[in-house]
Amino acid sequence: MKIIVAIKQVPERDAQVRIAANGKWIDEADLQWAMNEPDAYALEEALLLKESGGACGEVIVVSAGPERVGSTIREALAKGADRAIQILCDDLNGRDALGVARLLAAAIKPENPDLVLTGLQSEDLGLGQTGVIVAELLGLPHATMILHVEKTESGLKVKRELEEGWFQSIELPTPAVLTVQSGGNKLRYATLMGIKRAKTKDLRTVNAAELGAEGTPAVVLDQIAAPKKQKSTQILPGSAKEAAAALVEKLKTEARVL
Amino acid sequence: MMTAFLPNLAEPQYFSGSERALFAVLAAGSLFGFWRRFGPILGKILQSKKDPEFHLFPIGRRVRDFVWEVMCQAKVIRERSLAGVAHALVFWAFCAFALVTLNHCATIFGLGFLDPAGRVGRFYFDFAAFFAVACAAGILVLFVRRFIARPKWLGELSWESGLIALLIFALMATYLAAFFVPEAGTGARALWWTHTLALLIFLPLIPHTKHLHLVLSPFTVFLSRGGFAEIPPLADDEDFGLVAGTDLTQLVSLQAYSCVECGRCMEHCPANNTGKLLNPKEIVLGLRGYLNEFGPASEEPLLGKYNAQEAAFECTTCGACEFQCPVGIEHVPIIVGLRRGAVNTGAWEDDHGAKLFLALERGSNALGMSATERDKFVEKSGLPLFDGTQEYCLWLGCMGAYDPRGREIVVALVRVMRYLGASFGVMRKERCTGDPVRRLGNDLLFQQLAEANLEALAQNRVKKIVSICPHCVRTIQEDWKAYGTPPEVEHHSEFLARFALQLPPIQNQEKIVFHDPCYLGRYRGVYEEPRRVAALAGDLVEAPRSHERSFCCGAGGGLVFLGEEKGERVSHVRAAELAATGASVVGTACPFCNTMFRDAFAAKGDGAPELMDIAQLAARGLPDMK
Repeated sequence: MKIIVAIKQVPERDAQVRIAANGKWIDEADLQWAMNEPDAYALEEALLLKESGGACGEVIVVSAGPERVGSTIREALAKGADRAIQILCDDLNGRDALGVARLLAAAIKPENPDLVLTGLQSEDLGLGQTGVIVAELLGLPHATMILHVEKTESGLKVKRELEEGWFQSIELPTPAVLTVQSGGNKLRYATLMGIKRAKTKDLRTVNAAELGAEGTPAVVLDQIAAPKKQKSTQILPGSAKEAAAALVEKLKTEARVL
Repeated sequence: MMTAFLPNLAEPQYFSGSERALFAVLAAGSLFGFWRRFGPILGKILQSKKDPEFHLFPIGRRVRDFVWEVMCQAKVIRERSLAGVAHALVFWAFCAFALVTLNHCATIFGLGFLDPAGRVGRFYFDFAAFFAVACAAGILVLFVRRFIARPKWLGELSWESGLIALLIFALMATYLAAFFVPEAGTGARALWWTHTLALLIFLPLIPHTKHLHLVLSPFTVFLSRGGFAEIPPLADDEDFGLVAGTDLTQLVSLQAYSCVECGRCMEHCPANNTGKLLNPKEIVLGLRGYLNEFGPASEEPLLGKYNAQEAAFECTTCGACEFQCPVGIEHVPIIVGLRRGAVNTGAWEDDHGAKLFLALERGSNALGMSATERDKFVEKSGLPLFDGTQEYCLWLGCMGAYDPRGREIVVALVRVMRYLGASFGVMRKERCTGDPVRRLGNDLLFQQLAEANLEALAQNRVKKIVSICPHCVRTIQEDWKAYGTPPEVEHHSEFLARFALQLPPIQNQEKIVFHDPCYLGRYRGVYEEPRRVAALAGDLVEAPRSHERSFCCGAGGGLVFLGEEKGERVSHVRAAELAATGASVVGTACPFCNTMFRDAFAAKGDGAPELMDIAQLAARGLPDMK
């Protein structure tokens, strides 16, 4: 089975994010970068599928972004991907989900994969659209929020996560596109041997312009802002019984957790 | 003029041709027997991989270790005084007997160079006789210990040990008896031959048994890496640690064959003492078994038939084994080497371990917290940021930055530093020093963490670091060296001890027992400084196991981040020992020890002693500064 995993490089979870001077994106200076977590789970799922399927499988990683994305691609190769395609573009943040999906789809199409996996959303923008648009552009069926993938004789059987602890199990034919939810598997750690072996693996670079996937963005990012911190305390008056009743009411109507 | 104490030593006056021929055949047979076993062992050691970055020089340290540990038998005696002295007597006698034995064998060919009647000969034979008595007494003590007292560290009874004790005793007895028989009688001849036979039987037994240490351990001590628990660099791109026979270096193989099976390592091992699989002696003997069966060119995994992965990952890297070992075996690099082999190749699968590695791959600290939590703590506690003008960079470490009790220690130290007027600042951003991943064998992650930290410290022009964590101190000072030049670093006990006279003591006569952290004591040799600081707040008492014999808290080697222990918890055993001293305060100097004992005392319930870091003890006497 030939599996392509689309991954994104995002600021490290502990990064101290500052808004850039123009207010349109974050200041990327001094940032540390990491693999988008849902993409890491997509990669893990791909590696598990390959490992369970014998020697014939192949896992190819594709990622779009500037030079620095190479470090995340090498991490994916170190964890076990067989080869990688890096789409070089310095304007990833200027592209909307459709624009990014066009790049990915153009790079994926000539490979004719059996399966395309990606995280269900990115940790920085969190749009959750790129994967499904890729499916549309490739003309493939897709399923989202996948926790587990199983190869069947006719195609795939996947486990989807629904709301409130419900799961859905569906079958779909291959080739297909799946967007993977975090937490379905245990991630493997990067090893020294993996990193050394990754050096000899094929990493092909293409310029975004060469893919012929340009287009005017339909959505333009106008401004980003840090969340306002707010904390409010309310003292509920009355007897314990009254206060408890008022608390339940508030949890139902205001906090909506009950 | 020296007077002889004894009559002259009796030697046969002549030897017949057939006697000479018989001796030559027996001696050749004995040497052949020795070499037949020893040759392949030497071959395996020499065929092992060369040790990367091994330097014979500076040789002064090696000579000093050799004189102290081998010739003076200092380590042997210090750690087990009775058996140690008995052993030393046997050893010194063997040294004295080298010349006697050479002369003994030479006499049959008429080439004896020590004349029993001559002045030099008489002196030397008397000198050797003194050692012969001592040796016979020593071997008796060792025999009684091994076959009658039988401490469990010595393992199963071996008949060969008994035979060897008997042979040594026979050698000494026949030598001494020769002073009291007529020079020309058959007695002298019979003694000469008995002595000779004992010698010739003894020789081929040496490489066959643990007595191989007679030949190898002087070299092992002389050639050891020297630094305590020093983790050697990886040789090249294909070196991932101790994976297979091909990864065993000459030093490791030499050490594997040098083990004398005395079991000191096992006696002091916290894992072995609390019902875990790990036995440092068996790790070493496992490698020996591996070398015997597969050899140093084998691709067979080292963690398999002879050593278990489970055992390798139960080590707290406390170093008690290595500290005790009288024959120069470096257990910690071996165990960490086996872990490196398993982790660097991805063979180690452990949920907790993977969680720790992923937390450090993606974040800054071993506790898996968000770095903003550190920022909040720094801001809330009013800690100044290091800007290059201050003298000290106060390194918080994961525990100091994220753990509630660790933070209390930092706050107490900051109070004391402010009282003393020391200028300091904290880094805007810190990453874990890499201690837990270094000891767990993840070289990739350790390198990333070390390099990122070294770069940040260099950018901020940090010259001097002070830290509350002995693990951070050790890792910064020793382990980071592989990737750059770390700033000067000291533990807060050293800093505080320097200013102890300026700190107000409190006279409340509280009994304080200080627990030596492994990474401060054995690893750094700092024992008195923390005591001087703790003594500001009360009267010190000592735990039964203290200083270099201190018993681990169970946290080291990354184990604090792994799952539940098998058997008894190390921390509970140590906490109970500390509590049993009757002290009302347990003084610690490591945030990991602190957290381990906190949990142990909490499990114990009421009546547990108070747990205080030495920084908190030092801060107790300070006037309120508002």
